[in-house]
Amino acid sequence: MDLNISLAPDILFSLAGFPVTNTLLWSVVLSVFLMLFFVLIARSAKLIPGRWQNFIELLVDGSYSFVESITGPGEKAKRVFPLVFTMFIFTLVANLAVYIPGQAAITVYNGEGFVPVFRAVMSDYGLVLIMTLISVLVMQIVAIITAGPWKYLGRFINLKNPLAFFLGLMELVGELAKIISLSFRLFGNIFAGEVLGSVILFLAPFFMPLPFQFLGLLSAVVQAFVFSVLTLVFISMASEMPAEEEAKV
Amino acid sequence: MELLEALGLNLKILLAQLVNFAVLFFVLWKFAYKPIFKMLEERRNKIAKGVKDADKAEDKLKEAKVKEQELINAAKKEALQIIEEARERAEAKKQSVIDKTKEEIGQIINAEKEKIQQEKADTLKSIKADVSELVILAVEKVLQEKLAGAKDEELVAKAIKGLK
Repeated sequence: MDLNISLAPDILFSLAGFPVTNTLLWSVVLSVFLMLFFVLIARSAKLIPGRWQNFIELLVDGSYSFVESITGPGEKAKRVFPLVFTMFIFTLVANLAVYIPGQAAITVYNGEGFVPVFRAVMSDYGLVLIMTLISVLVMQIVAIITAGPWKYLGRFINLKNPLAFFLGLMELVGELAKIISLSFRLFGNIFAGEVLGSVILFLAPFFMPLPFQFLGLLSAVVQAFVFSVLTLVFISMASEMPAEEEAKV
Repeated sequence: MELLEALGLNLKILLAQLVNFAVLFFVLWKFAYKPIFKMLEERRNKIAKGVKDADKAEDKLKEAKVKEQELINAAKKEALQIIEEARERAEAKKQSVIDKTKEEIGQIINAEKEKIQQEKADTLKSIKADVSELVILAVEKVLQEKLAGAKDEELVAKAIKGLK
């Protein structure tokens, strides 16, 4: 028995030259599940809610109030909510799906060796990077819309004096750092959880993994929350840029 | 580049993940969040309306209660008044009946008195008449015996004289 840890998700099979990795498969499955779950419940929504509808409404309404508490009530919250909530619910479900018992044991032969069919979706850096890029891109778009393109560029390229130029460069680095910090925080936590879990399972398969599983469960929820809330906060900050500038003057 | 490979970054897979996430986002947005928010808004409105209606109903109930109390009070007052009036009227009637009865009794007594008086008078009259008749008869008898002789003639003559 050997411990097999790979940083990259394993390719399960190729579909007409397209490599299908286990995380891609898993994320598609979870997406379909989420879509079916939400849409079916929203479709059959009644004025007097059933148990599931109540649950969904509680989740959506609670999250919306939370978003409102950060962006302030009104149009802004309404615009940013779908993206942030989708990120949250997708990340949360993806992280929690790891705890479906028995799934880690299923492997498939891909021509080179046996690879697990299931893998924590967020331990695929590709997906996390895509989500981070979306959120950073939205931040930039919001900033451009609120501040105007010239003022937005002026934040990064300032030739008035050397200090301002340096600060502009720092600002640019800060934006790029957001990509790195956001994506590696989520990816690192989940991947580390995976690795830790399998290592402990390898060393002491009975009872010992339990506390680590609990820890993993906690970080699964917290990381989903942190990722979406950071996105929310950054977007919200980007949308308040002009007011901030005015406050400085 | 080595790092990207180690992380398993592949443009095709990245694109697939992007498409997957985009589809998830749009489907949830259009078909889940929007209807849910609509439903929540609808329910909120309905509850607000219900609460308002309940408030209104309560106000109306209070009003009705006040009105009811007023009506009851008025009715009580009226009833008392009616009772008072009835009592007064009864009192008056009683008094008048008593007065009338007294009067009637007085009248009856008076009438009886008069009748008695009358009878007394009548009796006296008839006694008087009887007595006078008796006196006349007695006188006649006495006179017939005395005036059988000359005196009768004398008397007749006197009477004739008187007539002349």
